[in-house]
Parts: sequence; C-alpha cells; structure tokens
Amino acid sequence: MLEVKNLMVFFENALAVNDLSLEVKKGEIVGVFGSNSAGKTTLMNTIAGLTQHMMHREQRKGGQRITISGEMLFEGEDILRAKPSRRVAKGIVLCRERHPVFKDCSVEENLRLGGYLRKESEIRERIRYAYDLFPPLERLKGKKAGMLSGGEQEMVAIGMALAARPKLLIMDEPLLGLSPAMQSEVVRAVREISRDGVTILLAEQYARPVMPVIDRGYVIENGTLIVSGTGKELLDNPEVRSAYFGV
Amino acid sequence: MELVNVLVFGLVNSAVLALTAMGFSLTFGLSGVANFAHGGLYLLAGYTSWILANRLNLPFAVSAVLAVILAALLGALIYRLVLMPVRGIVLSEVIATFAVGVAILELFRWMGFVTYEFNLRPFVKGSVEIAGVAVDYQRILIIGIGLVLAAGLWYFTRRTRIGLALRGMAQDEYTALSVGIESDWAAALSLALGAGLAAVAALSILPLGIISINIGYDVLLIALAVTVLGGLESTTGLVAGAFILGYAMTFTSTYLGPQWMEAVYMAAIVLVLAVKPSGLFGKSKELEERV
Ligand SMILES: Nc1ncnc2c1ncn2[C@@H]1O[C@H](COP(=O)(O)OP(=O)(O)OP(=O)(O)O)[C@@H](O)[C@H]1O
Ligand SMILES: [Mg+2]
Repeated sequence: MLEVKNLMVFFENALAVNDLSLEVKKGEIVGVFGSNSAGKTTLMNTIAGLTQHMMHREQRKGGQRITISGEMLFEGEDILRAKPSRRVAKGIVLCRERHPVFKDCSVEENLRLGGYLRKESEIRERIRYAYDLFPPLERLKGKKAGMLSGGEQEMVAIGMALAARPKLLIMDEPLLGLSPAMQSEVVRAVREISRDGVTILLAEQYARPVMPVIDRGYVIENGTLIVSGTGKELLDNPEVRSAYFGV
Repeated sequence: MELVNVLVFGLVNSAVLALTAMGFSLTFGLSGVANFAHGGLYLLAGYTSWILANRLNLPFAVSAVLAVILAALLGALIYRLVLMPVRGIVLSEVIATFAVGVAILELFRWMGFVTYEFNLRPFVKGSVEIAGVAVDYQRILIIGIGLVLAAGLWYFTRRTRIGLALRGMAQDEYTALSVGIESDWAAALSLALGAGLAAVAALSILPLGIISINIGYDVLLIALAVTVLGGLESTTGLVAGAFILGYAMTFTSTYLGPQWMEAVYMAAIVLVLAVKPSGLFGKSKELEERV
C-alpha cells in the first residue's frame, strides 16, 4: 500500500531522516519506534505531506531550506510531491503528535472538519462511527474541544482522523501523555480500527504498550533505520530490547 | 435635546464604524493577515459602482453587485499575487497590502476622481423621526445591514462546511492541512470575503456624503482604531470597539467640534496600544499567537 524508498529529509544541513526505506502492506499495523528526535514525526509529516507544505512555505519567504528526496508510492501513485489535501483525498490521514484539535470548535465541529473532503452523508456515518468507538465523545459533542482533558482531546483527534475515512491511518505517538487506562483504551481502538479494514502506521517511543497489536516494526535512531521485523524479531534483538521495550 | 441627538447619532455612528471595520476584522480573524489595502478596496467599490451606474448607465442594483464582486476578486488576487510570497512575514504583509491600497487610491486620483461630483445614490430616500431627532432611512438601513451581515457571518462560520474550514485553518494550520483543507485557498477566500465586506460597507455608507480619495485613508484608520480598541479578531471586540469609538466621536464632535473627531481615534489607538495592546476585549495572548 505504502512504499517509501531511500527517503532523505534535511532541515538546512541537518539530516532528520536518513536514507530510510519502509513498507506498509494493506491491512497491517506497523510501528515506528525511536527515542526523542529520532525522526519519527518528520517521517510521519513527510508521508502526510506536511513537510512538503512547510518546504514550500519556507522557500517562498526565503526561510529555512528543507530538502526532501527519495521515493514514495501510495497504491502505486508517486505522492512524494503531492499536496496534503491530495493525500487526504487518496486516503492517507495523519493524526498529529500531541493530538492537536481545533480548540475553539465543538467536538462535533471537530469531527465534521475531519470529514471536510467527504460527502455529507459519509460525514454523518463517520461521526457515528467515532461515537461508537469512543462513547464518551457523544456526551461531549457540544463542548468546546479546548476545554476537554488531554485524554478526551486524544479521542477527538483520532475521531477527526477517522472522519476523513482513511485507508492508511498514521498516528504519531498516540499514547503520549496518557494514563495507563487511557493508553489501553487507545490500543483497543487501534485494534478495532484495524479490524474495520484500515491500515495503520504508528510511531511511539516505547514499543511495549503497542506490542500486542503491531504486525511489524521499524526502529530508527537519528533518522536512520536500525532494525526492522516482526514484534518477536524486535524483542529478540537485545539492544533494541533494552532501549525501546524497557525490559 | 442635545443628549438625545448624541444618543441617536452615536448609535448610527457606531454602526457605521462597525460596518467599516468588519471586513478588515474578518480577514484578520480568519487568516491572520492585516489587510492594509482595506481602504483602497472600500473606495474602489465606491468609484466602480459610480462609474457603472453613471458612465455605463447600469441599473443601480447591478452596479452595486458588480462592485462587490470586483472587490472580492481583487481581494483574492491580492493574496495570490502580493501576499503569497511573503506569507508569515508580518511586516512584509503590511507593507505589501498598504502599497496596493495606496496604488488603488492614487490611481483614482490620477484618473481625475478629485472633484465633488461623485456621490452614490442611497438605497432608500427619506427620513424618520426618532425621539424628536430626524434620522434618514439610509442611516437606519446601515444598522440593519450591519446586523444582517453579522448574522450571516455567524451562520457562515458555524453552519457551513467552507466557513467551518476557514475557522479551522485560523485555529491550527497544520491540523487543518492534515484533514485536507488548503491553506492558500483558505487565505485567498478570507481576503476575498473581507474585501467583499469592505465593498458592501462602502456602498451603504458612501451615500451619506460625497466620495473622495481621502476617505480611503480614513477608512483604514477607522478599521485599525476599531479593531485595535476592541481586540483583534473577536466579534464582540469589534462591536464594543465600534460603540466606544462611535460614542466618543459623537460626543467630541457635538461638544468640542467636528475638527476633534480625528484626534479621538488616533488617541484611542495610541492609548490602547500603550495600556493594553491586546485590545480592551482581547485575550492577552491573542496578538502573539496570531501574528
Ligand atoms: N521544522 C524543523 N526545523 C528544523 N529541525 C527540525 C524540524 N523538525 C524537526 N527537526 C529536527 O529533526 C530531528 C527529528 O525530529 P522529529 O520531531 O522528527 O523527532 P521525533 O522522533 O518525532 O522526536 P519526539 O519523540 O521527541 O517527538 C530533530 O533533530 C529535530 O530537531
Ligand atoms: Mg515526534
């Protein structure tokens, strides 16, 4: 479904993603693991097109020089230079790091915005889906998203991404800053979303909490791929084990 | 008697100010761009509608609608040609749009629009007495138009997909991008909407007097004074700013003389910027966050 080959991303002369290749097959849940500033967010943002957008913005005003090179195919189409909106239309949807929501909009408005590119009937159906996945959201639907707790905002952010009807859902540290109970809630949701036919690529610092749901994982350090493999293969690598599994 | 006068005309003047500043405030609220071509667009709509109605003999309503459309298109074009390359550099945005505004105004001066023959027809003629004060229908209509536009904008930004998308883009650009909203499209539309509102304001307010180039510069100052006073981008702020300034100006002109009116809004800008830069009704962080 998604094929990334020899991806390089530079911010000025600093290399954030270094010659990285990865593949996500239809129906899989794939993890990307790495510590702070390993390049996870840069990778996710580059797949979603946000880095590309930032590059153009900086270019126009003569700001920071951002360089992206390599190959990126989604369902056979080259998307490396595509606009974010084009990628969303194709089904690549990113749920951003720290689960940002539209703070001055109500929960329901946030979900509607998620379905911005979809038909009205589809939006309604997707909002229903989000409420079924996270029942507390329905009770909160009239509330301003900025007033919600971190965990509730996370549900809104995921619901919003789902309203965009993703084929490939990209989640950047979905467990960041959540209580253990809320973490398992999100892991449960990930499993359910996947069961409903959505392919998932998710980034985390620690692999342990998502280990039960992922099919394969990639470990990156300083933008470079260290190892990849099934969950078990990663667990068997002693270095990886101590650094990313906390065991 | 004089007090009743002040109360009634203060209300009308406040509505005029709110309508004058509405487009500027909307564009700023939705895209973060302070469109200093606001006064230029305002006058462009006034002169265009005059030319269409008086030189090309188009019906008044048609000339008005065309003027609004032209202003809106020009607003979008200003974004595409002038603002897009400097997006995010606030000083450049201000200088670039101000230059466009000056260019529009001076173009009309150069074309000879400097005599006293240019005035727009009011939508309705006649007047009515309110508490013993004669108020012409056009002034009452201005209040009505202000209310209708405010309600319309409220509906547009809460209930329609496009309006919601513009609000989303204003709150968090990268999250908006990640659900497929395009930022250049949103900004161009915000500029077009603000320019269209400037045109509607011009067509409603200009019939109260004659059209002259300097009005363009005054309109920009008024928009700045009202939005700075009320707090940039908030609708309550816009209305409150317009009312404070409207009544302050009416008081000064009645009791001190009309020549002091300009001093009032200049003083308002300076005072607010010195004492509470986010505006009387703005949240303190708004300025830094937006700009
Ligand atoms: N816009 C930017 N400009 C300059 N450097 C950047 C930018 N974004 C990221 N970087 C750099 O790229 C590297 C990778 O950052 P990235 O945010 O992708 O890491 P991460 O793995 O997501 O880290 P974390 O776990 O802390 O979120 C870092 O060294 C960071 O400083
Ligand atoms: Mg990150």
